[in-house]
Amino acid sequence: MAAKGGAAPATYSPSPTTYKKKRAPIFTDVDWVRPDGRDFHHCRPAFLRTGAVNAASGSAYAEFGNTKVIVSIFGPRESKKALMYSDTGRLNCNVSYTTFATPVRGQASDNKEISSQLHKSLEGAIMLDTFPKTTVDVFALVLESGGCDLPVVISCASLALADAGIMMYDLVAAVSVSCLGKNLVIDPVSEEENYQDGSLTITCLPSRNEVSQLTITGEWSSPKIHEGMELCLDACAKLGKIMRSCLKESASTSQE
Amino acid sequence: MGGSTNGATDLSSEMEVDAFRRLFPLRFHERHLLESVRPDARSLGKARETSLALGAVASADGSALAKIGCTVNPTMLAAIKMEVMTPAKETPDEGCVAIDFHMPPICSPIVRPGRPAEAAPVVSKQLSDTIISSGMIDLKELSLVSGKAAWMVYLDIYCLDADGALFDAALLAAAAAFSHLQIPVVSLNDDGRIVVVSKENGGDKKEKNKPVNEEKRKLKLKNIPFALTCILHKKYILADPTAEEESIMETLITIVLDSSCQLVSLYKPGGPALAYESVVQDCIALSRQRVKELQKVLNESILDMEVD
Repeated sequence: MAAKGGAAPATYSPSPTTYKKKRAPIFTDVDWVRPDGRDFHHCRPAFLRTGAVNAASGSAYAEFGNTKVIVSIFGPRESKKALMYSDTGRLNCNVSYTTFATPVRGQASDNKEISSQLHKSLEGAIMLDTFPKTTVDVFALVLESGGCDLPVVISCASLALADAGIMMYDLVAAVSVSCLGKNLVIDPVSEEENYQDGSLTITCLPSRNEVSQLTITGEWSSPKIHEGMELCLDACAKLGKIMRSCLKESASTSQE
Repeated sequence: MGGSTNGATDLSSEMEVDAFRRLFPLRFHERHLLESVRPDARSLGKARETSLALGAVASADGSALAKIGCTVNPTMLAAIKMEVMTPAKETPDEGCVAIDFHMPPICSPIVRPGRPAEAAPVVSKQLSDTIISSGMIDLKELSLVSGKAAWMVYLDIYCLDADGALFDAALLAAAAAFSHLQIPVVSLNDDGRIVVVSKENGGDKKEKNKPVNEEKRKLKLKNIPFALTCILHKKYILADPTAEEESIMETLITIVLDSSCQLVSLYKPGGPALAYESVVQDCIALSRQRVKELQKVLNESILDMEVD
């Protein structure tokens, strides 16, 4: 969509030096060809842009391959629910899917779980005490689901929060890997997610080197977990850089 | 606001423009109207810059993205998914079109999750009424096997950024999505069921099951409807209002004309101002111009897609 107009999307695959020593033997046993022809440790090109929705206080659009997401931020504004008094601000997250996001119409997965995961991964990064008594709403719409929806929503949401001028300790970048047999594939597409034996998602604050959420499901051995985490952290750091440059770009164009 | 009008006259010279706009929105807009200009520098009868991009959603059979206004941001995303169904007994040779308009929480500060916007079902109903009654689509074209199988067309339109005249933008996106629609190739299998022929195995299975609808991959669209919403305020007519204008001046009139400028529908949902015949005539004249503009935009987007 917007990708046509913009500059070439930046890629952020982890650099070979960091993982080469640990996972050299894996390439000797290639039994999986990725549907989009990527290398196992290649991420999809990331296209990010802030200011996608004028009606919102801040917003961002993210396109990672076929995964397309818009996140709008509203507030800080009055808390709608009759809640108790609170010194710190509240964060309210909601993720929804379009009816055409999935190959079969209206088959979107449980949004409640994704919404709560989004909330938990952002919560720690936001300075909630900067907006006491009020609520910041983070609303995401998955236009097309092409795999790795949650990590894309999280990264896009943190970019939108920055666009809205909400104070954060750091940007939040999220990347996941799938375990397919002996192989670890980074940034899996939907098809790979359907076949996966296990998945690992890391949400981290790249410049502070802190992990805000780590989800591991399925079958994993300890060395695999270690390797997967290394891979994800490295990719997160690079994604963080891309997000930062996207913010810089939008700031410099708005100044002109 | 009764007492504030006098106060505003005195204050307006001293106040900052933004503060004046927030405190006395009506005065702010009326000051502009006196000069025959609107806050976004448009003349009163001018609609916003509009563009279309076809094929934005890879997983849909037809899709379009409409951009209204000078920003690069999309405002409406329409996508069509086709499913095979058994036609109703009364209409064995006809398919069916289901149109839904969504306003997700991202599109506007007034929409919150779990509490859908009031406007959404209204626009939804208006859209399906307009599309069905304009005769843009011949439902008979959606038939596959008489009485056995026909297409169920799901058209979903998402508002990504609500900035006024939602119906106009949604209708444009819908028409564009239909122009982009590529009907999937299906064939009748041995059990007499309709199956979708996927691209990969379409070649080797050809001799076995002949596709049912090989020549009918596109719908013939005639009398495509285009809409223009205007605000009536005192003696002024404002075409294609923004969300801000709609919230301040409440009388709206929506006129739908088809490509040959025949009136399809006229919708004036109440409001304090009354529509006299001359006003309606003026609005229709504005809509005629808009139809030409939109038709051009639509044709160009179709050409663009064919070049790609």
